[in-house]
Amino acid sequence: MKRKKTAILTAVLLIMLSAGVYFYYGIIFKEARNIESEAPDFSLTAKKLLEDYNADPKKADSLYLNKTIEITGKATKETDSVIILENTVFCLFKEELKNKMINNKITIKGKCIGYDELFMEVKIDQCTVK
Amino acid sequence: MKKSFINFFAFLLIIIANNEGFAQKLITKTGNIKFQASMPSYEEVAAESKSVSAVLDQTTGDFASLALIKGFRFKVALMEEHFNENYMESEKFPKATFKGKIEDFDSSKITSSPKNFTFKGDLTIHGKTKPVSVIVKISKAPNGVNAIGTFEAKPEDFDIEIPSLVRKKIADKIKINYSFLLVK
Repeated sequence: MKRKKTAILTAVLLIMLSAGVYFYYGIIFKEARNIESEAPDFSLTAKKLLEDYNADPKKADSLYLNKTIEITGKATKETDSVIILENTVFCLFKEELKNKMINNKITIKGKCIGYDELFMEVKIDQCTVK
Repeated sequence: MKKSFINFFAFLLIIIANNEGFAQKLITKTGNIKFQASMPSYEEVAAESKSVSAVLDQTTGDFASLALIKGFRFKVALMEEHFNENYMESEKFPKATFKGKIEDFDSSKITSSPKNFTFKGDLTIHGKTKPVSVIVKISKAPNGVNAIGTFEAKPEDFDIEIPSLVRKKIADKIKINYSFLLVK
């Protein structure tokens, strides 16, 4: 009888402890999103993405904002940490780019952060080249 | 026939004038904004965006800047989530803008040592606009100018509610640092 009680008590304690650890690490110290390893929610061309934003910015935001997307297009501009596709999609990389990709048709994966009215471009960050 | 020719000529002139106006503009798409809302002895509340856009018209001193809220990165993922979902509501208000004029801006007076200018304009955050006046330090850079500065903003001025539970962990005044390398 006593042994059974101790066993139940230990089990309850263990469950509480693991719940605590889960909460502590799972919620408080939740890992940041790793865009590089996420599967893209959408895969489309740079032109199509801008068309969607021009047609209805609100709807496009609800579709793409904060999502991992894959964009294909020709690299029209390239600087240290930025590639611009088809003059319409601004892609920010975490590290400096080593390979020269200007004028090549490439596919870039990143997180859509929104539409920039000043330059009429869609911006994506945390990019990687596929 | 003659009229249409004149019209065409006027149209051509407008295009040329516009192009010339465009040449006077300095731009950046990779401006930097950092903000700090930390309280002593609490966890650091700070974020940075490296993808802020800005345009400065050299002839008039007109300045416009746009920061996408989702572009701000925090060290702690949960903080970033709260910032986007609870405070900034970035699904509803995806951007913050700053539009106005740098007073007495004269590009010929810009030198390599930073000079203070007054920037007056409208700051829009969380869908709410407030007139602001801030000091901006401008210095000459290769092919353009460098504009840096600091200002403070209060969350309640922009209808951003901070629950009392975390109130003492977040500063009353949020310190915002910006740095734009504007080039042709």
